[in-house]
Amino acid sequence: MNNYMENDSSIIDYYKKTAMFWSDMIAMMSSKPTTLTSVGPLRTLSSNLKKITAELTEANKEIVEFNNFLIEYYKQLADTWSTAQKEVMSKASELPQNEEGTEAYKRVWIDIFENNFTGLFDSRKFSENYNGLISKELELLKRWNAVTDVMLKSANLPTKQEIDEVYEEIHNLKNRIFKLELDKKKAEKNARK
Amino acid sequence: MPENKFDVKIIGEFLNLGRSLAEAPMKVSVPHEVKIGSTQFDVAYKEDKMRLLHFKPLTSKQIKTPLLISYAIVNRYHIFDIDPKKSWIRNLLEQGFDLYLIDWGTPSKIDKFLGFNEYVNGYMDNCMDFICDESDVDKVSIQGYCTGGTLATVYSSLHPERVKNLIATAPVIDGWKDTTVMSNIAKYFDVDKLVDTVGNMPPEFIYYCFSILKPFEQGVEKYLKFFKNIDDEKFVDMFLKIEKWVDETPPIPGELFRQWIKGIYQDNLLIQNKMSVGGRLVSLENLNMPIFTQVAVGDHLVSPECSMPLHYAVSSTDKTLKLYPTGHVGMIASSFSQKTVLPELGKWLKERS
Repeated sequence: MNNYMENDSSIIDYYKKTAMFWSDMIAMMSSKPTTLTSVGPLRTLSSNLKKITAELTEANKEIVEFNNFLIEYYKQLADTWSTAQKEVMSKASELPQNEEGTEAYKRVWIDIFENNFTGLFDSRKFSENYNGLISKELELLKRWNAVTDVMLKSANLPTKQEIDEVYEEIHNLKNRIFKLELDKKKAEKNARK
Repeated sequence: MPENKFDVKIIGEFLNLGRSLAEAPMKVSVPHEVKIGSTQFDVAYKEDKMRLLHFKPLTSKQIKTPLLISYAIVNRYHIFDIDPKKSWIRNLLEQGFDLYLIDWGTPSKIDKFLGFNEYVNGYMDNCMDFICDESDVDKVSIQGYCTGGTLATVYSSLHPERVKNLIATAPVIDGWKDTTVMSNIAKYFDVDKLVDTVGNMPPEFIYYCFSILKPFEQGVEKYLKFFKNIDDEKFVDMFLKIEKWVDETPPIPGELFRQWIKGIYQDNLLIQNKMSVGGRLVSLENLNMPIFTQVAVGDHLVSPECSMPLHYAVSSTDKTLKLYPTGHVGMIASSFSQKTVLPELGKWLKERS
């Protein structure tokens, strides 16, 4: 048997396996009574329970990864803020302590913060981390979509994928109509000549 | 014990700011209720969500060749007519141009499969057909702004026989040379994952991109200035109009966004003449009509290095490149554009129309 408590990923695997095991067991144990009691479309919901559990456990893993990117994101912002603030402080002592000085301080503060943050947003490390963050968020959204699809199926409603297929079909039909209209227009022009 | 010295003027400044914050709701309109766009137009042609606007003439005599403006796919066209005194549209109408503008509308989920092919060979070409029929001409001049400049460039390359003159205003052309923070995000962006999961590019993401452009100038200084000038009616009016315009950005059709990010920013296909639209290769060498490229030196959305390569890549012998000491929006909606950019454009265009 695997030692699931060795490291973080093993712990996740342990919880994942436990969740899958029990959802399978419960589904199997309850399949007979559920079949007897749910004679209609609700039967699908009980059989799809396993899919939902699988998506949710996978989502847990992604939440951890998303969190790592998010921590790095705020760390980059905080580090840049503190560097900029230090720079402002070093300049502040040179500014006069009157109304003009207040205006100059504001200008210096904005310029230094602007430069530091633009430097951050322009850097590869920011772009890579930010895009990693978005990517994980989208993976979580995918899981959520999958769970919603299971619910929609059990309610006998079209899923996202099925609606997408309809959209694509309409799009292709429009393109075909457009081509036909274009051919018609060309033929009419030629006939006029 | 040291004596605390407070500058009376500084305290006065803070008190004034406090007063302005308290009185602002009574003095200015609710930003979303502000009206933008005053020049009258007819919706001349409509297809799906796209509308072709035809502006009513302001002169008794008009220049024969119509001008079609291809607006960007980010934000709405209202910036061209934000205020009567800074209106790009009104200025061109007063110069005697017969003016049309493409409003791309607000795409919904059903539009997620629309790409360059549908925008250029579909909507734009159909608009050109309509204008040619309506005005009884074979060719039309096209002006494209920002991402609309790219669409106009692609259209002109694929249908050069229909374009009398091309005006590219801050066009996105050479993605690898773009030095803005936008391009830095775009270069490492997993666009496939976004489009396959969400469909269209959501406006919230576009707002995020705006927020990292000069965050302190735009996020702090701008609002301090607004409250400081709360009694200046003209300043407040323009401020609210611009804010409303920035806030109204529609989603971008997923497929178009995918092709945009990959084709322009990641693989940089357009400037290398390797971009394919509707099964046809887009070559900038096909651009043989008179071309006017307008670039803003202080553009932090499309850097000059990204726009200027268009001027050098085309085969046209009648080409003009102008660099203006202003920003992306300043080039089209400012007193500077009224005094410098538009008169120069009008003169150039009249000589060739």
